[in-house]
Amino acid sequence: MSIEPGTLVLLVLWGTLVGLDLVSVPQAMIARPVVAGTIAGWALGDLEAGVRVGMLLELFALDVLPVGASRYPDYGPGTVGAVAYAALVPGWINALGVSTAIGLAFGLVGGRSMQWQRHRVADDVHRQADRIAAGDRVAIRRVMFRSIARDAFRSAALTAGAVGLAVGLARWLVLAPRSAQTLTLVAVGCGLAAVIGGALRSAGRGARMRWLVAGAAGTILLAALR
Amino acid sequence: MRGRLAALRRLYAVQGAWNFEHMLGIGMGHAAAPLLAELERESPERYREAAARSAAFFNSHPYLAGLALGSSVRAEYDAVPGAQIERLRQALCSPLGALGDQLFWAGIVPALVAATLAAITGGARLGAVVAFLVAFNLIRGWVGWWALRTGLASGTGVGAAIRQSWLPRAAAMAGIFAGLGIGIAAPLVAIWYLEPFGRAGAGAALVLAAAGVIGSRLAGPRYAAPRFALAALVAALILTAVIP
Repeated sequence: MSIEPGTLVLLVLWGTLVGLDLVSVPQAMIARPVVAGTIAGWALGDLEAGVRVGMLLELFALDVLPVGASRYPDYGPGTVGAVAYAALVPGWINALGVSTAIGLAFGLVGGRSMQWQRHRVADDVHRQADRIAAGDRVAIRRVMFRSIARDAFRSAALTAGAVGLAVGLARWLVLAPRSAQTLTLVAVGCGLAAVIGGALRSAGRGARMRWLVAGAAGTILLAALR
Repeated sequence: MRGRLAALRRLYAVQGAWNFEHMLGIGMGHAAAPLLAELERESPERYREAAARSAAFFNSHPYLAGLALGSSVRAEYDAVPGAQIERLRQALCSPLGALGDQLFWAGIVPALVAATLAAITGGARLGAVVAFLVAFNLIRGWVGWWALRTGLASGTGVGAAIRQSWLPRAAAMAGIFAGLGIGIAAPLVAIWYLEPFGRAGAGAALVLAAAGVIGSRLAGPRYAAPRFALAALVAALILTAVIP
């Protein structure tokens, strides 16, 4: 299987929008892996791969509180690459482990690249400090536009890298079904650890914890009775 | 006052020039420009001072930044002394950050995402994702508009306006919905992924999940879920290659 050049361009464009959405503009939540992955899967003609990969990476994203100056992964562009791999490998059960690795690795690289971006913006602000301090709205607008353009470039490069790696791995990495499915199980186990660990941390000891436990207990009970 | 819609639109990019020194400051300056246009015509000198103040250091939750933007612009038109406007902006940083994080990052977003995940496990696909985007953006758009309007109406009295509004109560409640949502979604997601692997495979994945949770509790802030997962995936790849 392969991806058409037009679809590759579409994926990079989508990954760029997704990367911009995380912080710069418009924070409409298309950067959530479950959204980025599902739409990428739809674009690739394999919605199931997009949903499976996006949802698993979402479990890791739910562990993140994107607060202020804290460092956090940028999962969006990596999710697009991860879905590309899953769409190229027959059966999500054989693809999810490697896809998750692509998504997580590029998520971490994406987090680092945001720090780079923020330092470059600070450099730009320094260069324009006198004009900004004088209330020059043209200088303020130009800093804004340059920063967003830089973030778009960052997101496009990340997505292109993730999709490129996905295409390469789908072509060159040959895994026995047993290995591929073991990796899928490991990825699911780690995703569940991330979401449960994050939920317990956020819940503290108050009402939120009680509702978390009630929700989980009720669902498990209903599933057992089914 | 004119320029409200343009300012609201620009607030969607308030983090566009986020950096470690000004944080949201440059984005706030960019969003303030349409609201300050009348002041520019009335008094160019006062406008320049107001524009410079609006682009100075500021930090808060991005969706609630409209409260600070509106109140400081109102104060500029009311000819409140510059030092007092600067103090107002600084005083708003922490409360708006804390309320917004509690309401959105720890409340509405995980609650809606959990509902989306649960819907997907129930068979929904693109529809669940679209519903999530519509619901979130309706809430976010309304909160953004309310924040700007409330800030513009209350000026230096914005602190009292926030205290008397729905915001503190909603921020406290949102976490409960998030907790309940994640509690419901997590087991459904586990079943959805693990069903094809049988009892042995599912058991192994759940043991790994438990190990990860215990590891995260023991290691505290040093634990990073993606690093744990990548290490586990590499270890599994090596083990499956070595063990026949």
